[in-house]
Amino acid sequence: MILKPPASLCKKCRWYDVIGTAGRSIPVFFRNNRLYSIAEKETSGVGVRVNVDGKVGFSYTGGDKGLETAMMRAIEIAPFGEYEEYSLPSASDPPAVELDAGRLEETDIAPVLSAAKEMIARILDAFPEAQVDMGISYGSGERRIQNSEGFEGIYRHSSFGAGITATIVAPDGVRLSVSEGVSSCGPVSYDAAVERLLWKLERACDVRRLAGGVLPVICTPKAFASLLGIVASGLSARSVFKGISPFAGKLGQRVFNESFTLMDDPLADGSVYSYPFDDEGVPARTKNIIDRGIVTEWISSLKYAARLGVRPSGNGSRGHSSLPEPSFSNIVVDGGDDDSNSLFATVRSGVLVDQFIGLGQSNTLTGEFKANLDLAYVIENGEITGRVKDCMLSGNLFELLAADSVFSSERIRYGAALAPFVLFPAVHFTS
Amino acid sequence: MTINASPRELLLHLQSVIGSLSCDYAEARVALNESTGIALSGEEVDSISSGDSCGGSIRIFNRGAWSFASFNDLSEIPSRAGALLRRSAMLAGTAPGIFRSKPVVAHFATRPARACGIVSFDEKFDLMRRYNGILKRPSLVQTTRSMYRDSRTFKLYCNTEGTAVSYERSFCGVSFTAIAKDGSLIQPFSESAAGFGGFELAQGREEMAERAAGMAVDLLHAEPAPGGTYDVVIDPHLAGVFIHEAFGHLSEADFIYENDRMKELMANGRRVGGESLCIIDDGSIEGLTGYIPIDDEGIVPGPAHLVKNGVLSAHLHSRETAYRMDEAPTGNARAISATSQPIVRMTNTYIENGPDSLEAMLDEAQGGLYVADALGGQTNLEMFTFSAGYGREIKNGRPGKLYRDVMLSGNTFQTLADIAMIGNDRAMFGGLGGCGKKGQSPLPVSFGGPHLLVKNVLIGGRNR
Repeated sequence: MILKPPASLCKKCRWYDVIGTAGRSIPVFFRNNRLYSIAEKETSGVGVRVNVDGKVGFSYTGGDKGLETAMMRAIEIAPFGEYEEYSLPSASDPPAVELDAGRLEETDIAPVLSAAKEMIARILDAFPEAQVDMGISYGSGERRIQNSEGFEGIYRHSSFGAGITATIVAPDGVRLSVSEGVSSCGPVSYDAAVERLLWKLERACDVRRLAGGVLPVICTPKAFASLLGIVASGLSARSVFKGISPFAGKLGQRVFNESFTLMDDPLADGSVYSYPFDDEGVPARTKNIIDRGIVTEWISSLKYAARLGVRPSGNGSRGHSSLPEPSFSNIVVDGGDDDSNSLFATVRSGVLVDQFIGLGQSNTLTGEFKANLDLAYVIENGEITGRVKDCMLSGNLFELLAADSVFSSERIRYGAALAPFVLFPAVHFTS
Repeated sequence: MTINASPRELLLHLQSVIGSLSCDYAEARVALNESTGIALSGEEVDSISSGDSCGGSIRIFNRGAWSFASFNDLSEIPSRAGALLRRSAMLAGTAPGIFRSKPVVAHFATRPARACGIVSFDEKFDLMRRYNGILKRPSLVQTTRSMYRDSRTFKLYCNTEGTAVSYERSFCGVSFTAIAKDGSLIQPFSESAAGFGGFELAQGREEMAERAAGMAVDLLHAEPAPGGTYDVVIDPHLAGVFIHEAFGHLSEADFIYENDRMKELMANGRRVGGESLCIIDDGSIEGLTGYIPIDDEGIVPGPAHLVKNGVLSAHLHSRETAYRMDEAPTGNARAISATSQPIVRMTNTYIENGPDSLEAMLDEAQGGLYVADALGGQTNLEMFTFSAGYGREIKNGRPGKLYRDVMLSGNTFQTLADIAMIGNDRAMFGGLGGCGKKGQSPLPVSFGGPHLLVKNVLIGGRNR
């Protein structure tokens, strides 16, 4: 892939950068306990951003018209763009991070299929009535960033991810569906994910009722990871600049409970969300965003760092067909002192939540959430006694995290988040 | 083969490649796309872009299983096809067969009043700046997002049954979000309109922008709806979201055909609602956002009467699910792009008009809630949650006090059975967003219905 635009066009620009992405992957689907399809996916594209007289234009191409046409289009629409005064990064030595386990898409598929079949058999052994769907995708790709200031970066990355869902529909139509997932830049073992899945299925067979009220609620790392999306959007330099983040103007202030520390870690080895430099060529760095309850930095791209007058955090994120936006890499939440068992032990009557439905439909800008509980359990005297359904949780996540929330020492990775169990002592529960 | 080849040459090339594969069935798709996007936010230009893409795929059915390969580089079609055939040998047949269809040879084209390709970027930008100006006019509006998108796609499809179709599609739309703020209160409100056509679809949307700004400001000081169980009157927009999310997805046969319990739950002949309840999915309605002249497996769509007079009577099918369930195909296999696999999807889904007037429903729902518009919805095929854009208390047969943050939740079948009255004022909705399933999002769809009165709906929140 050629990322060098013609000099005649470069001359018209105050600066420019080009992003090139290419990848190949093998998605495999097991449906209803059986191998259903094998596919091969190939993607590639180039995007070019230009600054002409201070204003920014953008275009992309995935076809073979090429970079030159795209750059001409970008220059053409730049006069309509926004004034953007920042400069692009120059040549640098980005930090090292392990992202590449080779061209996984070229490896033998037979062991992948047999490992998946083994896992499905293990679930069916315990729950013969279950229907197991499994999606596996593995492959590798390449990312290049090049700009007018001399930055030229390229790295290869690989990924192997699997999602497993077991569904049991009872004769009365009650549906129990549990999902687990795992991803890494190299081949993964499904053992831990399947163990968690079986644990959750076993405890959900009896449905119990629980009266509405204000109750202690424990979120599994999976449920907490989905709630963290609400916190993450308020920490973006974009929403701070737009004046819609409740944390705007609170840099350096204590906003959450001292027990809450949240880090952005693009240099986590082996994670598919890691990178040596971001999609604008800014070298990656690991940093606390919330340090013991205090907001210490925003997640920013070059544009919004410049708007707020802060140091870019190296979180400009994009595909080849869009402009960069601030986005977390790996979200890491610090664990607490005690394990999850001791969290459970403190609950006399409460709820354990694993999966929400409809989270994020509420007015989450302010931290408000309301969600139906897709998979949740009743906790009585520290023990899980059955599943609770047809009920909703509501509250303000920021208030919950500012109050006395307790985190477990053990943490589990779900997607981009490495999260502990969390206990919120008082949450509104409607049934 | 490159994209400089004429459409006819490209189609002939695809036909010869799939014709040379020794398998039970093969199909090929290619799409060339050009699109323009404008996003304004508050005082700023968030992004402007204009770009093109090109991609395609080949899918084969062999020995009872599907294999699929997608690509960006059209010169690699023959080699990808060969690798695909070799890989298909690893799959042992689990599907007994697929539905076979008569060949269709046709050319389809959107007929825009003003083709987006010849409208200058200048004019598109000016229009959006005007809308954004309307959105940010109220002083309590903190920020806005005004988006414009047009896309012009040339699609080619052919299969080994002899079907060869080309489709020149033009899509255009706008969406408006106003975010109002007062102290620590922050309240967004959004509106969107889009469809198949030209620039005319983006024009004349001033009122829509005014409404988005006005509602965000009004809702800012509304109280959250108290939690509890209510009789609710649902407006046509939310009725459409409900029928799409809670019922439409249940009707998708890929969720049903291998699951005995789902088959029982969704068996044709089962009563799920009152005599007046009729639910239809119909991809053939031109002018609606879910319109498709032909689906991505080469099947021509028509109306599927999912519920007829309260009784389940059809499912949404692909070639494979129709064959497995021995039912008529409905033309509902859709892919988000030429590089994605077709899966069973909805098109234009709606509840048909019933006998009742809105006034009669409001009289009946004394002490209940009027809920309208939709921020979003999600379902797990048994339970659903939707957030309404807003709610109003029903007092003396009229909608009164305004509520924000209205989240409805329930069991789909119970809720269908609890529909007590069906209005006679159906309206359809579609926008720049769309439906998501198995990672393919946003797929253009439309949905709608008349006003409905539903008994005993759970509203989440602090208890009343």
